Amino acid sequence: MKKFFVYLVLTVIALIMLYPLLWLVGASFKSNREIYSSIWFMPEKFDFEVYAKAWKTNTGYTMGHYFLNTFAVIVPKTVFAVVSSVLTAYGFARFDFPLKKFFFSMLMGGMFMPSIVTIMPMYIMWGKLGFLDSYVPLTLPSLFACEGMFVFMLIQFFRRLPKELDEAARIDGCGTFRTLFYVLIPCIKPAVISVAVFNFLWTMNDFLNPLIFINSTEKYTLSLALRTSVDSTGQGYEECKVIAMSVIGLIPSIAVFAAAQKKFISGITVGGIS
Amino acid sequence: MRKILISALCIIAVLYSCGKKDSSVTLPDGSLDKCTLRFSWWGGDDRHEATLKAIELWNSIHPDIEIKPEYGGWDGWSEKINTQISSGTEADIMQINYDWLVTLSPDGTGFYDLNKLDDFLDLSGFRDDVLSFGNVNGHLNAVAVSVSGRGLFYNSKVFERLGVEYPSTWDELVGLGKTFGEHGLYPLDLDIQSGGTAWYLAVVYVQQKTGNNFIDMNGNLGFSVENLQTALDFYKLLEDNHVIRNVRTRTDSDGNAALYQSPEFINGNIAGVLEWGSAVGKYESVLEEGVLEAGDFLKDDSGNSGGWFVKPSLLYAISANTKYPDESAEFIDFLLNNEECADILGTSRGIPASSYAEKRLESTGKIAGLVQENYEMLESMDTVTISPYMELARMKEFYNDAIEKVSYKLADTHEVAQELYNNINDYLESLK
Amino acid sequence: MKKNYHNSVGVGKYTGLVLISPFIAGFFIFILYPFVCSFVTGMTNYDNIHQPEFVGFENYINMFSDSDFINAVGVTLKYTLLFVPLKIIVSLFTALLLSLEIKGIGIFRTVFYIPSVLGANLAVVIMWQYLFTRNGLVNQFLEIIGISPVSWYGNPDCSIFIIILLRLWEFGSAMVIFLTALRDIPKEYYDAAKVDGCGKVKSFFLITLPLLKNVIFMNIVLQTISALQEFNAPYMITHGEPLNNTYTVGMLIYDEMFKYYNAGYANAVSWVLFMLTAIVVFIMFRITGRLKEEMQ
Repeated sequence: MKKFFVYLVLTVIALIMLYPLLWLVGASFKSNREIYSSIWFMPEKFDFEVYAKAWKTNTGYTMGHYFLNTFAVIVPKTVFAVVSSVLTAYGFARFDFPLKKFFFSMLMGGMFMPSIVTIMPMYIMWGKLGFLDSYVPLTLPSLFACEGMFVFMLIQFFRRLPKELDEAARIDGCGTFRTLFYVLIPCIKPAVISVAVFNFLWTMNDFLNPLIFINSTEKYTLSLALRTSVDSTGQGYEECKVIAMSVIGLIPSIAVFAAAQKKFISGITVGGIS
Repeated sequence: MRKILISALCIIAVLYSCGKKDSSVTLPDGSLDKCTLRFSWWGGDDRHEATLKAIELWNSIHPDIEIKPEYGGWDGWSEKINTQISSGTEADIMQINYDWLVTLSPDGTGFYDLNKLDDFLDLSGFRDDVLSFGNVNGHLNAVAVSVSGRGLFYNSKVFERLGVEYPSTWDELVGLGKTFGEHGLYPLDLDIQSGGTAWYLAVVYVQQKTGNNFIDMNGNLGFSVENLQTALDFYKLLEDNHVIRNVRTRTDSDGNAALYQSPEFINGNIAGVLEWGSAVGKYESVLEEGVLEAGDFLKDDSGNSGGWFVKPSLLYAISANTKYPDESAEFIDFLLNNEECADILGTSRGIPASSYAEKRLESTGKIAGLVQENYEMLESMDTVTISPYMELARMKEFYNDAIEKVSYKLADTHEVAQELYNNINDYLESLK
Repeated sequence: MKKNYHNSVGVGKYTGLVLISPFIAGFFIFILYPFVCSFVTGMTNYDNIHQPEFVGFENYINMFSDSDFINAVGVTLKYTLLFVPLKIIVSLFTALLLSLEIKGIGIFRTVFYIPSVLGANLAVVIMWQYLFTRNGLVNQFLEIIGISPVSWYGNPDCSIFIIILLRLWEFGSAMVIFLTALRDIPKEYYDAAKVDGCGKVKSFFLITLPLLKNVIFMNIVLQTISALQEFNAPYMITHGEPLNNTYTVGMLIYDEMFKYYNAGYANAVSWVLFMLTAIVVFIMFRITGRLKEEMQ
């Protein structure tokens, strides 16, 4: 009975969470008129040709092309972000060193500035270095642990582990890096995975940075490609095709999350967290 | 430590000032060289496809001059171009919006002066008043691709059902409110968001009535406080007579969606819209085919139909930093005047302002429908050229705030008009 | 004065510096450089086109007489105060629910995260329009339970809740962080509590909350930072309307920067937002006593 109640609650919430997605899928089969006149998700008719059209995109390249571009940004970016954030967080959480206070404040401070105003100086810098219209401005910064949020988050998870763990590892002859890789990372693996997942999902949705730094349509990421067909100032466009594109575009994000969600709660747990 | 900091600051200062564009302009050399040109535009699928095909055609004629397309949707496009222009990395040839002439080239040096390129760019197909759109401070900064005006379009089914005619005078429009109101419907809709049609119609009304132009081409306010108040009073009159929804009713039932996305419009509760001829397609497509019809441009009782605006819907400009002005001019000439190219581009950028392209399209029957009706009506009228200053985002904010205040009854129209007057004057002054 | 560095035996005082060296390099390029540029720009009348002129603190002084700015600060603070506590409660509650080890929970976890994946998708915009308009679903529901319909979009006092509800619905990221932390709490604690006769609710307050305190703190800090910079939701859903009652500082900065070509002012406002955030976060660290701990 109690179990039934839990499932009931979960299902009701799930429906609220899921409905927009359901609507989105339904809307990909609708005319503009249908889309704007009803909240009901069921289309009048199904015609899967819209997905063939969406895949072709009419923007000069297929969605496959844009997917590859997107992954060419996401994969290095995610690897860079995870490695640099873990190392930096480890340094802050476990070591004492000169200017620590200063650098920690800077780490936090980096998060306080709206990114809109830093984008212009960065644009000028990348322009001087000749990296405009390439993926360097989108990926390279991640190598330098500049996502303060990830570092801050990992620091908190490192802190939850007892210091005795490190001491014990050192007594066993582990050096700084071995302690990190063999002792600490396995314990905070879920947090590391969530950093990777967040990075993946946010990069997937990021619009402003690719918009500013990428010029050639050939190099567009998916988030840009989705809006390439949308001209709100013009004669209008078939909404369903754009929606079908965005449905296809959501698949990797949902798949990545579904694959990762188990990992958020598994892994070696350590007793006596602080 | 201090030394390091100071030298770091110096490096930053140098880097930053390097971002400013080079002031030396490449002069035309009178011959076409082998080069690669970047061409940037925004639009939807139709425009992208047509333009890419036109570029193919160009490449077959001029294999030496490669065109590298850079295109996207409208969202964020002006942000992108803004960033590019401010650091001198923009494309050689750009499709630009009318108000960018003021924001990106206030003194006329922001874009290449096309007057210098008449060896390659043939402007004989353009009327003088159309050419004057691109003129800033004596420099021809851009050429209008097409010209468009905002007209009234109505849902013919609803009008038929109620047994009323489309209005042709302002009084008739106001009178419609009663008939429609009895059925809980509205004959028209005006918005205060990106469209800003509420203020637009009110200005047209006052321009027709007084013969004063709202803002002139050099950015001087032509309306007095009384004129502004008349405009606001007229807007209020429309609300009070059930011709349009007031701001609150409108937001409550549509959120901030555009009218063509509103169930109220789709279901015929709102039976009219004020829209650019070049953008009315999206309203047509959500109604049954042929239901949306073009109405008259409203007149006063004496038959005076003045005061209605026209503006260039899009323009082409050449970057002030381009290394290849001649080649860029040749390409623009091809886009505007070449007949084969006109066949490919069709009306993807509106009805061409170049008479060569327009005639070609007319002879092949490609100009048709509401766009054409709207265009022809405007041609026969005594229209006012919209000032690019009127289109500035900040100005639109002033109008919309004023309308909102009147609609929410936060102040009387005189007070609001006075405030609007001061805001506009201060802002226009600050741009000089 | 010689400082003692508290490190494990055999660890030098520079080991930590080596570990954070990528960040230090990045700090100069990706934080210090753009920040200095922004600060300098904030002291000019730069409009993205003309050569900037130095105007000193004029931009900062102008803010005090800019009613849009003052209004935006008010809206942003109000939004943050209302939103952050709600978000923490909602995401913690769902994390607890999703940490239950029952069959099919993985599917629920994925489904619950979907709103956060959708982000600024068109579906969200249209959905929110259907939900909160006069005859929208929310009002229909309110009518059923006997509450008179609310003018969500049109009433200046209500529109902020549309934004808050949207952001609450996208609780995914905060929830994941809680979920990750919850699994660390050993089950034995709960078993022991059960033996001592503690109910579910009591053990939540006695065990779960205290053990989650640094993660809760972290989430509060992160949510506060992002709430103070909120831009996207009002930009998409309400456009700052009605009567600028959902016009946040983030939107103001964006508009000044890209719509009004007023980069100098936009940068100055950003610095004010920066200081505001810094002060709020500093107070948070201070009153929770985390400041000392963080620096150990």
